[in-house]
Amino acid sequence: MAFRKKNRREFIRAAGATGLAIGVAGCSSNGDGNGNGASGAEELGEQVREINFVIPTSGANPFRNEIGVITAENWEEIGFEVDLEELEFGAHVDKAVVEQDFDASLLGWGGTPERIDPDIFIFDMHHSSTTGEGGRNTPGYSNPEYDELAELQVTQADPDERRETVFEAQEILARDQPRTYIANEGGMHPYASARVDNIDPTLGEGLNSFWNMISVTPLDDDTVTMGYPSEIISLNPMQDLATPDRQFVRLIYDQLYRIGPDGLPQPWAAVDEPVIEDDGRTYTVEIRDDMTFHDGEEVTIDDIEFTYNLYQDSPTYSSLVSVIDEIDTSGNEITFHLGEQYAPFTANVLGQVYLFPEHIWGDVEPEDLSDFQDENWIGSGPFQFEDWERQAELQLRAFDDHFNRPNTDRFIRIPGASVSQLLGDLESGQIDFMGAVPQPTALNRVEEDEDLANAEFNAIGYAKIAYNMRREPLDDRHVRRALSYCVPKTEYVEFIRDGMGTVTHSTISEHNEFWHNPDVEQFDLDLDAARQELEEGGYGWDGDELLHHGA
Amino acid sequence: MGLREFVIRRILQLVVTFWAFFTLLFVLFRLVPGDPTTMFLLDGMTAEQREQRIAELGLDQPLHIQYMEYLSQLLTGDFGQSFIYREPVIDIIIVRFMNTIVLMGTALFFAYLIGVTFGALMGWWRGSRFERGGIIVTLMARSSPEFWVGIVLLSVFVFWLGWFPSSGMRATGGELGGGFVARYGSIDFLRHLFLPALTGAIVFMATPTLLMRNTMLDVLNADFIEIKKAEGLPERTVLYRHAARNSVLPIVTVMAIATGAAMGGSVVIETVFNWPGMGREMVRAVNNNDYPVAMAAFFLMGSVVIIMNFLADLAYVYLDPRVEYE
Repeated sequence: MAFRKKNRREFIRAAGATGLAIGVAGCSSNGDGNGNGASGAEELGEQVREINFVIPTSGANPFRNEIGVITAENWEEIGFEVDLEELEFGAHVDKAVVEQDFDASLLGWGGTPERIDPDIFIFDMHHSSTTGEGGRNTPGYSNPEYDELAELQVTQADPDERRETVFEAQEILARDQPRTYIANEGGMHPYASARVDNIDPTLGEGLNSFWNMISVTPLDDDTVTMGYPSEIISLNPMQDLATPDRQFVRLIYDQLYRIGPDGLPQPWAAVDEPVIEDDGRTYTVEIRDDMTFHDGEEVTIDDIEFTYNLYQDSPTYSSLVSVIDEIDTSGNEITFHLGEQYAPFTANVLGQVYLFPEHIWGDVEPEDLSDFQDENWIGSGPFQFEDWERQAELQLRAFDDHFNRPNTDRFIRIPGASVSQLLGDLESGQIDFMGAVPQPTALNRVEEDEDLANAEFNAIGYAKIAYNMRREPLDDRHVRRALSYCVPKTEYVEFIRDGMGTVTHSTISEHNEFWHNPDVEQFDLDLDAARQELEEGGYGWDGDELLHHGA
Repeated sequence: MGLREFVIRRILQLVVTFWAFFTLLFVLFRLVPGDPTTMFLLDGMTAEQREQRIAELGLDQPLHIQYMEYLSQLLTGDFGQSFIYREPVIDIIIVRFMNTIVLMGTALFFAYLIGVTFGALMGWWRGSRFERGGIIVTLMARSSPEFWVGIVLLSVFVFWLGWFPSSGMRATGGELGGGFVARYGSIDFLRHLFLPALTGAIVFMATPTLLMRNTMLDVLNADFIEIKKAEGLPERTVLYRHAARNSVLPIVTVMAIATGAAMGGSVVIETVFNWPGMGREMVRAVNNNDYPVAMAAFFLMGSVVIIMNFLADLAYVYLDPRVEYE
């Protein structure tokens, strides 16, 4: 195994070395001015300081660890000194996102359907207002020209106009490279083709998607069992939720709109698209009249109004609905008056607020919301809660009165100890599908098993390297661009991930078709281009090929 | 010194040990980078939500205040609430602790039963083919990694023969919860228990076997064994009543320590067989910076080690009258 890994690594590096050979040759022809083999800038200043590069351990993420190691070697090739630091997930997030104590950091950003509207990728991740401790703009990117666009797109109610702005924003990001956007890490989720049918892997989530869970159909009994390599923390929608929690909360609780398989919000508890008036400041939604909660109580417009007020009172989630100024209802319609224009309102608010029964949550004090335990977790969603023992299993039953009843009568989720352990469960018949991506070798085993198959899916989230622009020399665009040229993106997808995923050069994935700008500047592995970029930035190399500032 | 004084002194020592142990745990966990919000940061928690949660948990307070608060809470017998699950720690721990006790208890019971018998016979039949073969088998068991033993058993009994389920504690889809008997009393449960317990038994067996054999060899060289033989007692009586009983003393110490350690569960066995026990919970709690759960888990496990050692000391006196309380 180790042998194979080394060969692969050498091969990937060789791909970049061709560029290097040309680069070095180019340098020597124009850079012998001082007679000691130095090149680049005419007069050399201080050596560029060592770069601290934080990457996941191979236990935390073997794929990203490998590309991290290769990238660091490439950076050394072009004259940087690199201090490579491998950390476990928690320590890594703490150092890079909370403490912001890093120069370069290789982490992922998840692409759940809730993030398919470009706002989070454009505004939250790159606007200068989100650079604080724990904020999403970890590089500390601050560009007034960009900020203007990020603010503008939020207010543009017309999708085509907004798209123009989002395109322009992507161009600026590609030019400035606050991060190297590496690849959208799509993958494979194995399932038992002999036991379940109507599998529907969706963008960003594969078999964990809402649409798969209501579509999947058992072939020999009435139950579908899935495995996932972690426990559910909570089913309380008012608590801080991790992605695996949300994937089940949304089965039990409905929303006015749901993000469809195509990534666009579609009416769910709402009858139709919202009526948008007042230049994008008023949204009116008519709700369905055929909905009941799992305890038989009807879902009324009062429940909807109650829900939005509940969110406004919630210490955890009030920011989600802070854009709403006032709510009024009439008949089966609810109208939201916004304080300012907010183009992603349907996707990011109406599509994410879970509908609560007032007769259960009505008496809960705001400060108790996140600790509240509704024993039966009554919602109005397509599945109703049956029973749950956190470390053993979660049992759901199809809600017969739902307008979109799931295909399976029962749905069981078991938490696994690890991805490979779950694969054993799949092979032995204890589970029907798993919501996690195994190692490439294990995927081959699935292919060879006639009872099993792999469901392939694309991703909108990505692996990326963030550069800490609060520090020199990473505040220099030339340096970041040069570093980006050293990242073997194609090789990452083709060899390290065995073909799973797609290379990206933009913050918006090509699979998010409407919003993706295909014409942004591209940074493929090219050490020659990296050196040229540094030369343009006024840097030079000493006799030992180490990088110096210009004098 | 009488028994009573000895016990009182040992209990006072226990209190100091517990305090030192607990303080060390507290400091260690706070030194680990990250906090309970870390795991949510890439999952949608915003910077404001994070700050609010940290304040809610009191983690923005100076360390010594957090320490005093936790200490006073602990003195009232309250382990507090999980930072991640937001449920009482005791509810989370107790189920997993029981799961671990049942699994490890079974494994240890068979490991020591088989190990002691086997070791005694190996000592008795010194130099025989039985002894030589036994040593090889024992050393193989001792040097096999837990995960490997587990995977071999899985391959044979699950994937090849299909006799046992591959993971978990019971078949899915049935009624959840229930009391001790409902949980651990069914045939279904025993089927799930078999392979992980067997893995544990194989791995744990080597120590008592080798220890028992070695002590047996010492005891068998003692004069009184020759005398017993000379008295014409049946071989069986000499073996069990005299040789084996006198060799069992070190086993008691080792067993006490092993039991304590086993209560922490085996992360490896629990991972291979997806057994929801203490080991995995501890790893999860540490990874997620869920301090109250991690502290309680280590505390519980450490307590068992400390108490088992205490009991072993007491048992020595009973087993060997020559030992005195000093």
